Amino acid sequence: MTYTGHRVDSAWLEPDEHADLDLLVNGRSVRVQVPARCTLADALRERGLTGTRLGCEQGSCGACTILLDGLPVRSCLTLAVQAEGCELETAEQAPPSRELGALRRAFHEHRALQCGFCTSGFLMLAAGLLRDEPDAGAARVREVLSANLCRCTGGVPILRAVLAAQRELNGGHA
Amino acid sequence: MTHGYIGAGVERDDRHFLDGTAQYVADVSREGQLHARIVRSPVAHARIVAIDVAEALAQPGVVTVITAADLPDVRIPIRLPMAETPDTHKFLQPPLARGVVRYVGEPVAVVVAADPYLAEDAAELVDLDLDELDVVTDITSAASTGTPLVQPEAGTNLVATVPLTFGDVDAAFARADIVLRDRLRVHRHTAVPMETRGLLAEVDQGTGVLTLWGAAKVKHFTRQALSGMLGIDPERIRVVENHVGGGFGVRGEPYPEDYLIAFLALRLGRPVKWIEDRAEHFVATNHAREQEHDFEVAATADGRLLAFRDRAWCDQGAYVRSQGILPALLPAQHLPGPYRWEAFALEVHGVLTHRTPVGTYRGPGMTEATFVRERMLNRLAHELRLDPAELRRRNLIEPAQLPWNFAPTPITYESGDFPAGLDRLLDHAGYAELRRQRDERRARGEHVGIGLAAYTEIGGIGPFEEATIVPRPDGGFVAHVGVGSLGQGVETVLAQIAADKLGVAMQDITIDHHDTDQLAHGFGSFASRATTLAGNALALAAEDLRSRAADKLGVPSADVELGGGRATAPSGRSVPLSDLGEGWGRFDKPHPSFSFGAVLSLVSIDAGTGQVRVLRHLVLHDVGRAVNPVLLRRQLTGAAAQGIGAALLEELLYDEYGQPLSTLLSDYRIPTVEELPDIEVIVEERPTPANPLGIKGGGESGMVGTPAAIANAVADALGPASGARVWRLPLTPGRVRELLRST
Repeated sequence: MTYTGHRVDSAWLEPDEHADLDLLVNGRSVRVQVPARCTLADALRERGLTGTRLGCEQGSCGACTILLDGLPVRSCLTLAVQAEGCELETAEQAPPSRELGALRRAFHEHRALQCGFCTSGFLMLAAGLLRDEPDAGAARVREVLSANLCRCTGGVPILRAVLAAQRELNGGHA
Repeated sequence: MTHGYIGAGVERDDRHFLDGTAQYVADVSREGQLHARIVRSPVAHARIVAIDVAEALAQPGVVTVITAADLPDVRIPIRLPMAETPDTHKFLQPPLARGVVRYVGEPVAVVVAADPYLAEDAAELVDLDLDELDVVTDITSAASTGTPLVQPEAGTNLVATVPLTFGDVDAAFARADIVLRDRLRVHRHTAVPMETRGLLAEVDQGTGVLTLWGAAKVKHFTRQALSGMLGIDPERIRVVENHVGGGFGVRGEPYPEDYLIAFLALRLGRPVKWIEDRAEHFVATNHAREQEHDFEVAATADGRLLAFRDRAWCDQGAYVRSQGILPALLPAQHLPGPYRWEAFALEVHGVLTHRTPVGTYRGPGMTEATFVRERMLNRLAHELRLDPAELRRRNLIEPAQLPWNFAPTPITYESGDFPAGLDRLLDHAGYAELRRQRDERRARGEHVGIGLAAYTEIGGIGPFEEATIVPRPDGGFVAHVGVGSLGQGVETVLAQIAADKLGVAMQDITIDHHDTDQLAHGFGSFASRATTLAGNALALAAEDLRSRAADKLGVPSADVELGGGRATAPSGRSVPLSDLGEGWGRFDKPHPSFSFGAVLSLVSIDAGTGQVRVLRHLVLHDVGRAVNPVLLRRQLTGAAAQGIGAALLEELLYDEYGQPLSTLLSDYRIPTVEELPDIEVIVEERPTPANPLGIKGGGESGMVGTPAAIANAVADALGPASGARVWRLPLTPGRVRELLRST
């Protein structure tokens, strides 16, 4: 699960210079005008998509995780201009993707949240994992989930929820 | 008629968290809002020679820059009378440093600009001319003569001394067969909620009312503190709580920023927003726990505890904040724990250092005291060749001895069954089998250990809470409470109580905890008190409605049945609840209640790396009565997970110059699902007679015994020689490897 590509034209922009971008967010095309240094998280939040949370702005906590062309990225460490032309998915996605829908149900059933601040990031991290590696084993799921931080639940309820969502998506039963 | 909600695992509504629509304070915006950035001291102690704001002020988008010279000379007050002494006012913090900076991160100036990026740019250009001074960072010598003074006007670095004595300590020590003495140290760490702090203030130009979004925990006190500092009537201040991304004690106290953002909104006549960034959070939001104890325990040869002496130094940081001397008072009240001591004498000092101020973090004082006492009890058990569980069992206060009072100290235990609690924990763990397995694995050369801890926890602190129950136009009711939700689900628990007491369905109850305008008084969510205090206040508000109905129906209150939205007399005559006006209740709690808990941990150590793995972790707590066992278990689990982080990973390190070394989440490691076991929770329900609902609380309990139990387990895994040297936390791989090598 690594994302290396970017699609920005090579034109040099000063930090404060504004760029016009076409973003595809949750299936809708959104035109934004942002300074070149604006993070993707801030650009989304400015558009009212505040479900993408900022917990550290250092890439450590993962609360800002979204899907960029189907793979999880830290939107606090991604510049908005890097997402030009990319397909973005956030926690607000409606109707939700197959994976996000299953995860929302499982997070509720397995009580995988308390304060909810980390939830969007965990949902998107897990959605990316279950789409990219539908048959990931429990150890792999645990490893990937350790990329994000939760301070309320003790983590295990989140792991349980993601494994339950995986079973549902794979047609199995809990 | 009741629907039986109390005691049921009612699920809370979490849809808003699952579709991203929950609104935390950073998600709230007001028309025309400006953004503030705090300029903070880069050094631990310095005289402020000059602050040049000209270049910052000239930047595009910058509206204003303020320093202490722009503010009246005000201080952040203490919010609890029990945490104040005649001297504490000397150590209070001004919102912006006046003349001297005293810790890295102390607010010095505020830049306000049209956008947060521009505010941050300009803040870099505020030029601080600082003349550096010597620092004090060692707590045990902080109050000695010759150390630099943090607050020279006070003439001392000693904030408070808490002495507690019970019985004849010297006589008890004189009778002892064995005396053990050691130094034990708990490190500086803190809550680190996933949402940082944040505020948004706006003045209504028509009414002049100041609204502050982003408050939590103690909204009514924040309003009172702002009223005093800003010099405006409390009625002109409205404090609003949004969704809150975790509190754990540190969020929602009145901080310098609460005043600064409100002041700026008033001065500029425009909304002002401030969202703390994570690096700021690590130096600006309260730290906790750092203390060192010199503890001495006396016992008989057959394992009867006689007495202890303790001298302790607790760090308060550079200023006394809104929680006053709690960092020193709470450890003192928890050192005796659940045991039948004949005597004790303790003296706990709160001292100043040039570091971020200290407040309370989940299980404050009690977590540290439990670590100190329970480590020493394990050392004692080893010396006496007693099983650690057996030593505890022989000394726990028996149920027939309750209520127990360590007079003249204020430590009183009302109810419970401590030995039964410990036995239940051991049964649940399969203690005998667990020990057999440990010995087997040890024989194969593995480092495996079992650790135990028992503790008492203060909760249900007063003075009181109020509640009102107001009919809604649609036939339902709004219940207004003064406690806050920090993400724990207290609104669900309180709705269960209100619905049961009114005999209506839960969907007919809305709990409103958001707004100081809706209820005259409130103390807030701390000390595991929200369910106890607000729950009993709601029960009394329902009783108020019942007695109003009784008056209308002309029958005694006890004969009135509430149910189906009506109050009914034995004759069958009834009145709709919605015709009775507003129900009001106030629950006073002059004395706190202590509750019992115990923890068992099984760990293994990787001999190569020194890494500790928690294989099993069990927490038992007597909550009195579980209003919602599902939400309660989540609280106990989450608190224990934080305790595992505290025991093994988390530490706020400073260098000798008072520079913080842990200001990123990559330096300050909180546990992830890779480090955490599936925590096993055992809920004991032994109702307290101290409140009608019988509740003791449980929001913090999973934390209290966890670091102690893990430390005991690690010591057990290391073996007697190295294990005896486990005297401080956290037990990081480096430290454990050192202990292993010294075998």
